[in-house]
Amino acid sequence: MHGIISAGIIGIGLGAQYALLALGFTLIFGVLGVVNFAHGGFYVLGGYVGYWAVSSAGLPYPVAVLAAVVATAALGYLFELVFVERFVDEQLATMMLTVGLYLVMSTGVLAGFGPEPADFAFPVTGSWHGGGFFIPWANLIVLGVCVLAIAAVYLVLYRTDLGRALRALADDRPVARAQGIRPHLLFPLAFALATGLAGLTGAVVTPILTLSPHVGDSVLATSFMVVILGGLGSVTGSTVAAFVVGLIEAYSDVYLGGSKGALALFLLVLLILIAKPSGLFGREARRA
Amino acid sequence: MLEIDRLEVRYGGITALRGISIEVKEGETVLLVGANGAGKSSLINAVMGLVPAESGTIRFANADLSSLSCDRRARAGIGYAPEGRRVFPSLSVTDNVLAGAFGLGRARQSEALSWLHESFPLLAERGNQLAGQLSGGEQQIVALARAMASFPKLLLLDEPFLGLAPVWIARISEAIRAMQRLGTTILMTEQMARPALKLATRGYVIRGGEVRRSGPVAEIRDLALADEYL
Ligand SMILES: Nc1ncnc2c1ncn2[C@@H]1O[C@H](COP(=O)(O)OP(=O)(O)OP(=O)(O)O)[C@@H](O)[C@H]1O
Ligand SMILES: [Mg+2]
Repeated sequence: MHGIISAGIIGIGLGAQYALLALGFTLIFGVLGVVNFAHGGFYVLGGYVGYWAVSSAGLPYPVAVLAAVVATAALGYLFELVFVERFVDEQLATMMLTVGLYLVMSTGVLAGFGPEPADFAFPVTGSWHGGGFFIPWANLIVLGVCVLAIAAVYLVLYRTDLGRALRALADDRPVARAQGIRPHLLFPLAFALATGLAGLTGAVVTPILTLSPHVGDSVLATSFMVVILGGLGSVTGSTVAAFVVGLIEAYSDVYLGGSKGALALFLLVLLILIAKPSGLFGREARRA
Repeated sequence: MLEIDRLEVRYGGITALRGISIEVKEGETVLLVGANGAGKSSLINAVMGLVPAESGTIRFANADLSSLSCDRRARAGIGYAPEGRRVFPSLSVTDNVLAGAFGLGRARQSEALSWLHESFPLLAERGNQLAGQLSGGEQQIVALARAMASFPKLLLLDEPFLGLAPVWIARISEAIRAMQRLGTTILMTEQMARPALKLATRGYVIRGGEVRRSGPVAEIRDLALADEYL
C-alpha cells in the first residue's frame, strides 16, 4: 500500500520533469517545425551551469538555477537567430545543426568537467514522513518548481499575445504572417523559451538524479517518446503523456525493477500507439 | 489606395498572371471575377506578399510594396481573409480574432473585440469554442472578423462565399456590408458573381491571368455571369 503511494509520488515527480522537457520540445517542433536534437544538451548544460555556479562561483543554489535558465535561454536564442533561422524549412539542415550543437555541447562539457558524474547535491536534505513512507524534501521541492514552471508556460501560451501568436504560427504560418505576426521576432523567442525550460529542468533535476556529460541522451529519447505519445505538436497531449510515462516508469520500476521496468514502459507506450497511432491528443497527420 | 501595374506571377513554368493592371480607390469595393485558375488568388496573395511578383509593381497608399515582407504589409494596413477561410483550427474563436489584432495593445484589442461582438453575435456566443470545430459559414465569419480586427485600410477577401449555402452567403454579405459602413476599402474575388456583384462598385473579369473587361458593375455583369457557369 505504501509502495503504491510513494511510487505514485515519484511518478508524478518524473512526470512533471518530463512535461517541462516535452513542452519545450513540442514548442520548437510546433512553432518552427524543427526537431531539436540538442534538447538534451540544454538539459545537461543547465545542470553544469548550476553546478559551476554553486561549486566554483559560490552562488546560492536558487541563484545558480536562475543562472542556468538565463544561460540556456540565451544560448537557444542566439543559436536560433544565427543558425536555425535561415534553414527553418529545411528539415535535413536543421537536423544537422541541432545534432551538431548537441555534439559540441556534450564534448564541451566533457572537456570542461571530465567524464565523472559531478558532485552536485541538492541543498535541502531530509525526508517528509507520511504514514510509513518517505519522500525526500528535495523531490517535493523539485516537483513544486516543475509544476509552477508548467503553469507559467500555460499562462504564457494561453493568456498572452505572445502565446497566441506562437500558436497561430504553429497552426498556419503564412496566414499568421498575413495578420502581422513576425516569425523572425518570435522564432528565436520560442526557441529560447524551450531551451530555458530544458536548462531549468537540468538545474533542478540533476542534483536529485545524476549529472554527467551524456545524461542528455536519455532526455532526448524520453522527450521524443512523450511527444509522440501525446500526439506530435499537441501541448496538452505532451503534458498528459509526460505524466503517463512518469507514472508507468515509477510503477514498473517498483514492481518489476530496473531493466524489466524500462522494457514494460516501452511496451506499454508501443501498445498505446498501436491503438492510437496519432498519439493521445494527436490530430490525423499534422503538417510537418 | 492600391495600384497594381503590369503584375506578373509565375510558379515555376506556369504563368498565373500575365501583366495585369488593377486599381482600387479609397472607399471602393472592387470585385475580381473569374473561373477556376483565372489567377484571382495569385493576385490577392501577391498583394499580401505571400507569393513573389515576377515583374510589375504594387503600390499601396502611395508606397511601393515590393520590398516589404508579408507581415510588414499587414502592419501597414492590409487585412487578409484567405481562400478556404484558414482559421487557426486549434485556437479559440476569440483567440483567432485577437491574433488578427496582434501587437496592437490591450486597448485597441478590446475595442476591436467589442465592435466585432456587436456586429457578429456569433463571435461572442462561441468565443471559447475551437475555430476548427465550427461550420464553414461560421469559420468564414471568424476569418472576416480576424481580418477586420486591426481595422485595416484595405481588406483582401478571397472567395468569401466559397462552398456556402445561400443563407450563409446572405450572412457573409451582411458582414461585408458592415465593413463597408466603416469605410473599409475592399478588394474581393469571387466565382459566384451574382451575390458578389451586389456588394461591389466596380469590377474586373479575369481569364487566363489577364483582364478581359473592367468597369462599373453594370458594364461587366453579363460577362461575369457568363463566367460563373464556365
Ligand atoms: N502554388 C502553386 N504552384 C503551381 N501552380 C500554381 C500554384 N498556385 C496556383 N497555381 C496555378 O496558377 C494558376 C492561377 O491559380 P489561382 O489559384 O491564382 O487561380 P484562382 O483564380 O484563384 O482559382 P480558384 O477559383 O480555383 O481559386 C492556375 O493555373 C494554378 O494551377
Ligand atoms: Mg483562388
